[in-house]
Amino acid sequence: MIIDAFPPGLVLVFGAFLLPLLPGPVRAAAILLLPLTTLALIISLPDGNLVAIPFLDYELNPLRSDKLGRLFGIIFSIMAFAGGLFALKQERVAELSAAFLYAGSAIGVAFAGDLVTVFIFWEMMAIGSGIVIWSAATPASFRASMRYTLVHFAGGVVLMFGIAMTIVDTGSIAFEPMRVGSIGTWLILAGFLVNAGAPPLSAWLPDAYPEASFSGSVFLSAFTTKTAVYVLLRGFPGTEILIYIGVFMIFYGIIYALLENDMRRILAYSIINQVGFMVTGIGIGTELALNGAAAHAFAHIIYKALLLMSAGSVMYMTGKRKCTDLGGLFQSMPLTATCGIVGALAISAFPLTSGFVTKSMIAQAAVDQHMLYVWYALAAASAGVFLHAGIKFPWFVFFQKDSGLRPDDPPWNMRWAMILFAGLCIGIGVHPAPLYALLPFEIDYVPYTGPHVVAMLQLLLFSGLAFFLMLPLMKRTLTLSLDFDWFYRKLGTVAALAVTDKISRIRNRAEASGRRLLDTTIAAATRPVKPRGALARNWETGSMVLAVTVALGLFALLFF
Amino acid sequence: MIFSHIPVLQVIVPLVAAPLCVIFPFRKFCWTVALAATLTSLWIALTLLITVYAHGPITYELGGWAAPWGIGYRIDILSAYMTVLVSLISSVILVFSPRSIGAEISNARAHLFYTLYLLNLTGLLGIAVTGDAFNLFVFLEISSLSSYALIAMGQDRRALTAAFQYLIMGTIGATFYIIAVGLMYAMTGTLNIADLAQRLPEVMETRTILVALAFLIVGIGLKIALFPFHGWLPNAYTYAPSVVSAFLAATATKVAVYILLRILFSVFGPDAVAAMPIAQPLMILALFAMTIGSAVAIFQDDAKRLLAYSSIAQIGYIILGISFLSVTGLTGGILHLFNHALMKSALFLSLGAVFYRIGSVQISDMAGLGRRMPWTMAAFVVGGMSLVGTPLTVGFISKWYLIRAALESGWWPIAVLVLASSLLAMIYIWRVVEIAYFRGHPEAGADIKEAPLSMLVPIWFLTGANIYFGINTGDTITAARAAATMLLGGPQ
Amino acid sequence: MSDLSELDKHWLVRKATIKKLWILGLLMLALTVVAELRVHMHGEFGLDELFAFNAWYGLGTCAIMVVGAKILGYVLKRPDTYYEGDDHDH
Repeated sequence: MIIDAFPPGLVLVFGAFLLPLLPGPVRAAAILLLPLTTLALIISLPDGNLVAIPFLDYELNPLRSDKLGRLFGIIFSIMAFAGGLFALKQERVAELSAAFLYAGSAIGVAFAGDLVTVFIFWEMMAIGSGIVIWSAATPASFRASMRYTLVHFAGGVVLMFGIAMTIVDTGSIAFEPMRVGSIGTWLILAGFLVNAGAPPLSAWLPDAYPEASFSGSVFLSAFTTKTAVYVLLRGFPGTEILIYIGVFMIFYGIIYALLENDMRRILAYSIINQVGFMVTGIGIGTELALNGAAAHAFAHIIYKALLLMSAGSVMYMTGKRKCTDLGGLFQSMPLTATCGIVGALAISAFPLTSGFVTKSMIAQAAVDQHMLYVWYALAAASAGVFLHAGIKFPWFVFFQKDSGLRPDDPPWNMRWAMILFAGLCIGIGVHPAPLYALLPFEIDYVPYTGPHVVAMLQLLLFSGLAFFLMLPLMKRTLTLSLDFDWFYRKLGTVAALAVTDKISRIRNRAEASGRRLLDTTIAAATRPVKPRGALARNWETGSMVLAVTVALGLFALLFF
Repeated sequence: MIFSHIPVLQVIVPLVAAPLCVIFPFRKFCWTVALAATLTSLWIALTLLITVYAHGPITYELGGWAAPWGIGYRIDILSAYMTVLVSLISSVILVFSPRSIGAEISNARAHLFYTLYLLNLTGLLGIAVTGDAFNLFVFLEISSLSSYALIAMGQDRRALTAAFQYLIMGTIGATFYIIAVGLMYAMTGTLNIADLAQRLPEVMETRTILVALAFLIVGIGLKIALFPFHGWLPNAYTYAPSVVSAFLAATATKVAVYILLRILFSVFGPDAVAAMPIAQPLMILALFAMTIGSAVAIFQDDAKRLLAYSSIAQIGYIILGISFLSVTGLTGGILHLFNHALMKSALFLSLGAVFYRIGSVQISDMAGLGRRMPWTMAAFVVGGMSLVGTPLTVGFISKWYLIRAALESGWWPIAVLVLASSLLAMIYIWRVVEIAYFRGHPEAGADIKEAPLSMLVPIWFLTGANIYFGINTGDTITAARAAATMLLGGPQ
Repeated sequence: MSDLSELDKHWLVRKATIKKLWILGLLMLALTVVAELRVHMHGEFGLDELFAFNAWYGLGTCAIMVVGAKILGYVLKRPDTYYEGDDHDH
């Protein structure tokens, strides 16, 4: 066993168990200091495999330190700090503990040098994030966290199976770039993609994140999908299929966000959209593209958390979350509105914001690789991001109509968390060099060129024009949109929740007959194992003896 | 020199302690005697394990009579492993027992409980150490008869029918076993396991031996509660007193599996087993056990019954590992033998604590217990996670080996089934967790207190073991692999 | 709406201001297009070498996305109480 450095993720993991035991003021200090300690530890890490632990027949390397791992470790710990600051007044300690467990595990994944460690932290993240959702303590969040956890454990099973097959194939547990080919690697890729929010299992994200508390969704936005981006970056760079998956995710996110009425669901869909950009970059796979994906993940965590903090503040102060109920809040919440707008500009990649200096690398990589359609798609998507998140979110929440609500800006800790991240959004946008220095590959990319700035401004401002011209078409309605989760929430409820769910009311005839068929199938399949089913009832002694006799005869026959 | 008699002391200590409890029927006294006896057994078992590790198998001739005529005890790595397992679990459960017994068994019969418990322990340890096929039957009967009586001590009147049913089925199993031993004796003229192994190959093809083999598999299958011979188990575990359920679930079926391993690999030998159609049917039954046991467990309302069906599924895992007939598979099976004992004893004991406080183990009655009995329920959750096979628990380790064995043999659909049934396990554990943590009014049951320390310490000892052996895997894996290699005839 | 109520409003949402904002916005749009005369844009794939490509491409694709979403909405939208009926356990 070699231990040359303390695994930084464990600071937060252990801290998570410590938090509930601490008295109020000490706890507040711990919430702020633990992430900072983690950050300091990460920055001080040298390169190399710093910890080796024998496990089964292998050697675990839970602390492989290199530029890529540190980049994600740094942003995850910054995120834990800002999230902790934002959630400082959260009364439910369980949520903060879970969030720290979640963040620490994400950092654990970022430094995992072998697949087993990846898997262990992967599952801990699922547990931590599940509890974060659950701690909103509403009936809807109970059920959402249950669906969320089930999806992730299913994904975890796929991942574990892929890992097991790959280890048996290669004899090594090292987590290195893989070529998809064997079933094992495909399954690993699938397991990773579940967490990235890729189709068809993407609906867990907009289903679950908006059910978390005002502070919980801030944490949630940062870790699960970005850890998935990290492992894809590490394990599958240049895998072509990721380009198509990424492009699909980009447009899926835009379209659904356009249809959405709940402000946090809008932002949840836009996570999928943004992760789509990163996945595309990973699929392109050149050094510039990978740098772009990594940098974009870094910038994305900041502005998406900022947007969700802004939405969380609105929810915290008004208790409302639907666009139809909101509007005109800029008058009484100027700071929240300003920070929300900064986040919105950053996600849209406006010049002088962080999105501009990171996202454009991915598009440039597509140009360099002469990927014509990918580039057109990315350009359209950039316009679409401004449309669905950049304008839509601030417009409907802070302007739109006067909802009559006049809430104040939120308490100081939430304000400062927003100011910090808004500052980072602009800081990185104005002065990208420090971020560029952290990226995994050498970089000589110059974001601020005349043509690039002009092109981006044209694209964004004209999509803004499109928004206001077509505003009547986008009137918010009291609706939700069916997504893939329909399959398990409606069609599959019986399958997944047969245990607890009574048969639900039926919407219309078509659904009714479909359901009836499904119900009878499931009833038929589960009848033998339900109480009083053939396999579950108390067997009579006589029939058991008969079974034994028959078995004896069969075995004797078999042996002759 | 007393040290040279240690193998027989393993059996004698609990055997002598048992009548003491009848002679002096005082609850406290009996408990002290029983605890002292099991702790001594544990110490002996550990000594044996270390000796076997260092010097190879130990042979002991009872009364100085040499093997074919006298009874020989033979302790190899697998026997030592089993004795450690049985006496360890037994000690922990005894530490837990006084309050639980006080609540579930009337004062007048408490001393009988300890007597029977010690007899049961004697039988189980004896099975592990004996090197004689007939002597094994004797110990099997000692443990079986005492377990029927132990089950019948349950408060619920259905405990009587459950015990009676188990008695019938167990007796059939034991009879099948003795019939087979008789047939083998007729063909070879010996009852000593080592001699049998030598002489059997000559007569292997005879019908007598083939019939004997069929009797053995079905008979032992009954004691293991392998699907479809599991019918007696759910009722027995459900209605027995809590500590009895914990003890039987953790040790009795495991020792039955040990008998199967002995008969298949030490008596018939791995080559003969591989040549016969034994592994395939066992594998099929194991797969059925895994899926059906887990599926039925999902729909149970009684938590003990849920665990009982889960045991049937877990036995499936163990048999599955054995049926691969490979070192990895057998290692996985033997590991799971140990690991499952750890999980199930932790789970059953936490239910024992729940029963002690609320007088019920119906899942619906457990609403809000997460708040009222945080330590007990946390132990249940950890044990449950281990059952599911979460990393950092022992469940992960054994499942890892089973999956690896399946993949090495090229049977990846079986690996899929192993994982799928883990998901089923997650569902049934989740049902309890959901009720205990997420249901019930926050104020309800405010008078329910956490279980007493005398219960929590043993529970958390076992829970801790679930985690410890899930992280520090070296010792258990080395032992299990050594046992597997030995059984498959490799270098010892 | 009377002028008085206009004055009650926050200055940013008065009709006059909004009108000015529109004018300002359109001016900025024009400016970005005009800027293309001064900055040399270099296209890569053909289409993007056309004049003011990003302007009309952004406008056009956004229009398509909004309309596309609208159409999809007819298929996918449900009242936001859709899932509530069957989410009740027991």
